[in-house]
Amino acid sequence: MNDMTVQYSGKVLAFTPEDPREAQIPSDELHEHLQDPSTARTSRLKSRCRWKHASGGEFVEKGVQAGIERMRLITEAHKASVGKPEVIRRALMLSNFLTNTTLVVQEDEFIVGYHAEDPNMFPLYPELSYMAVLDYLKTDYAPQPAAEAADIVAYWKPHSLQAKCERYFDPVDLRRGYQVSTMEGPAFASGYNSIVPPYETVLEDGLLARIKLAESHIQEARAEMGAFPWNADAGLKWLDKVDNWEAMVIACKAVVAWARRHARLCKIVAERFESDPKRQAELLEIADICQRIPAEPCIGLKDAVQAKWFTFLLAHALERYASGYAQKEDSLLWPYYQASLAEGSQQPMTHQQVVELIEMERLKISEHGAGKSRAYREIFPGSNDLFIATLGGTNGDGSDACNDMTDAILEATKRIRTAEPSLVFRYSKKSRAKTLRWVFECIRDGLGYPSIKHDEIGTQQMLEYAKYSKTGNGATPEEAHYWVNVLCMSPGLAGRRKTQKTRSEGGSSIFPAKLLEISLNNGYDWSYADMQMGPETGYATDFKTFDELWEAFRKQYQYTIALAIRCKDVSRSQEIKYLQMPFVSALDDGCMELGIDANELSEQPNGWHNPITTIVAGNSLVAIKKLVFDEKKYTMTQLVDALKVNWEGHEEMRQDFKNAPKWGNDDPEADDLIVRFYEEIIGGEMSKNTNYSGGPVLPVGQAVGLYMEVGSRTGPTPDGRLGGEAADDGGISPYMGTDKKGPTAVLRSVAKVQKNQKANLLNQRLSVPIMRSKHGFDIWHAYMDTWHDLNIDHVQFNVVSTEEMKAAQREPEKHHDLIVRVSGYSARFVDIPTYGQNTIIARQEQDFSAADLEFLNVDL
Amino acid sequence: MATCNQCEFFNPIPSDADDYAAGKGDCVTEKRDEKGKYWLSRPVDEHASTCSNFHKQ
Repeated sequence: MNDMTVQYSGKVLAFTPEDPREAQIPSDELHEHLQDPSTARTSRLKSRCRWKHASGGEFVEKGVQAGIERMRLITEAHKASVGKPEVIRRALMLSNFLTNTTLVVQEDEFIVGYHAEDPNMFPLYPELSYMAVLDYLKTDYAPQPAAEAADIVAYWKPHSLQAKCERYFDPVDLRRGYQVSTMEGPAFASGYNSIVPPYETVLEDGLLARIKLAESHIQEARAEMGAFPWNADAGLKWLDKVDNWEAMVIACKAVVAWARRHARLCKIVAERFESDPKRQAELLEIADICQRIPAEPCIGLKDAVQAKWFTFLLAHALERYASGYAQKEDSLLWPYYQASLAEGSQQPMTHQQVVELIEMERLKISEHGAGKSRAYREIFPGSNDLFIATLGGTNGDGSDACNDMTDAILEATKRIRTAEPSLVFRYSKKSRAKTLRWVFECIRDGLGYPSIKHDEIGTQQMLEYAKYSKTGNGATPEEAHYWVNVLCMSPGLAGRRKTQKTRSEGGSSIFPAKLLEISLNNGYDWSYADMQMGPETGYATDFKTFDELWEAFRKQYQYTIALAIRCKDVSRSQEIKYLQMPFVSALDDGCMELGIDANELSEQPNGWHNPITTIVAGNSLVAIKKLVFDEKKYTMTQLVDALKVNWEGHEEMRQDFKNAPKWGNDDPEADDLIVRFYEEIIGGEMSKNTNYSGGPVLPVGQAVGLYMEVGSRTGPTPDGRLGGEAADDGGISPYMGTDKKGPTAVLRSVAKVQKNQKANLLNQRLSVPIMRSKHGFDIWHAYMDTWHDLNIDHVQFNVVSTEEMKAAQREPEKHHDLIVRVSGYSARFVDIPTYGQNTIIARQEQDFSAADLEFLNVDL
Repeated sequence: MATCNQCEFFNPIPSDADDYAAGKGDCVTEKRDEKGKYWLSRPVDEHASTCSNFHKQ
């Protein structure tokens, strides 16, 4: 029973549960009572879900293992295609895999298709990073036979993206990049990637139409080349285009045949294995769907969800690995929802059947394992991979984009209660109340998502980047409304054309807290890598002014950000030569029209990069300025000496630094300097870099699990933090537990950062009793409107009590449905290592005082 | 020696299928583990020597 009350506007507000039945549920097990799968089938599917989550780098469920088929089949094709154009080889690799791989269909499922030869397996990618695959060979997850896998890795080592890129770097720079100390390791060494597949062309056109289009382009090209008079400049340009179109045809034909293999499998299972007439009929229905799509356009929602799933597998796991689940899911599926719910539909469904279908889609994603390197399993503790779909926002004409499909997705999400896929909701003042209520229901049930992005800011960002389009064909004002989150935070276009295809655009990270640490020590990382990590910029003990430290940091940041962006662009240059994606290219209207591979064609720049641990660095600078340079309470020598011994024997001094003003309290003493830090250094210096796509690189500050991983690698810092403690958990989030002036003070601080960056992650933890009371929705809604008016880009919420998290630490076996927001993703609390769990418990749980409610001007 | 086309799990690929080839078939088997049942399909040649799953028609 909660007895919290607040006096506000002449009333006494009590925060008892809106649903009186909740009063009977012990507050330390609330989340175990919230799931409500809509059918017996989805309840069964959830209870037998083959989760692929990792924790501490290890898979949580037993029996999870890497498969060998993808490695084996792409290698066979690579060896057999020597001498052919590289893009054709890539198409043949995909084709050989799709033709010969083992297919999987599971009991009870309606959406079929898997990316490995057994539902407990996941594929590996030796053509990307040999280091990432070698890592698997040393573990129990190694593909079998292990000797064959080792031979395959040895074969790929000289051909891999990693080997192709490494030769362009000074070994000193390379070694610094591989430390994951001041920056995320280069993409060519990790294989980590992201993409926004143009799902729309598959659903709307079907692949047979795309094949026809490519074939007609080849005919046109041949006609042009045969025309008189011959002109070499113009004529030779057709050669690469013809290769690309031919590769698209090979890839799309292989995909159609692969989908139809699924149709045959379902028919055989129905006729030879299944005895239940209802399930037999359903398997024959699935067979009919897989026979028609993705070859043909979709006629209803069942078609659309299956076609979307096949496309996801191909773009994210089979042709190449890419993290993410980027799509404007409600807009994408809305025409098919309408078709299926219309009178006389060829594929009729009810709204509740749509909800069930989306619950099944969410469980498919939960089973989708990613063959990431150990480092990337460690930096997403409790997660499988980053799967994030986007909803809401506005249409191209500015009208509200929320629809009944949006509501079905949100209802399914609340009911089935899985950590993945996460959702982003684009918040607009035009968003309809009915949908906002569903968004709120998911948030207050503690899912940690939808995370909220500002609709207008995202649209403006698309238009801003369009200005730099190298082809002069960036997003139009109408297209700019059709954006999604590519992964956790960076926005990017969705749709038939101009989407992001590789992670030389949004993504990869730089770590300001470690950069501050080395700025105090002449560029040397004494606490982790034990090596020179950047230029020699002097020792802080010799700095006479705060500006000298500021400029030393600037130089370290300049060196590291330039190296990080160079790594991304060198990767891109080699992806263009050796990692073509003919299937994805066939889906993009631009690649199809121009005969250019998806890695190469860039019409819309999207050059984001992630500063992670900015607030530890910012708070540290505030403390140094105040205590060393302004008040002169301590000398720099005293500070450096204390840091070198992790503050041991200097506890009083540590408390002084810890109690210095902190970000997130609307305190000018902290905020003025930190705003300058964000705008002049973090955004200002980053945006001086121009990437492959021709645009400036802009900060998209976030954290993923790196705030823990990098925190553990960062020594003691002048904000009073001990060496190895976690860093700040979001791009612009206050450091855990230091935002003590209430939720609206946090908003006022964050709103001060406006120049050159509007994509920073803000984590907030809200009071469970307030959110679950009858006032919860009105307070949250007023908070969101205020957030929107303050022009803040992002916010996401944990609504979970300390009591329940501590109960889960004591008895994890009783808390499998407790989900928390870690940073750009959510996870089951019990799957997160204790170190990470404690960072979530330590976050400030925000109540709403009368002053907060007045600031929000909430009508209660 | 027994061959795949003598096995219960061998299903010849229809001649109008995109991936049709003479003698090629789908080997469809049922598996079960603690999470439930599932079915696998892998392409085989009718003349291939049999595997440990062989089950005479």
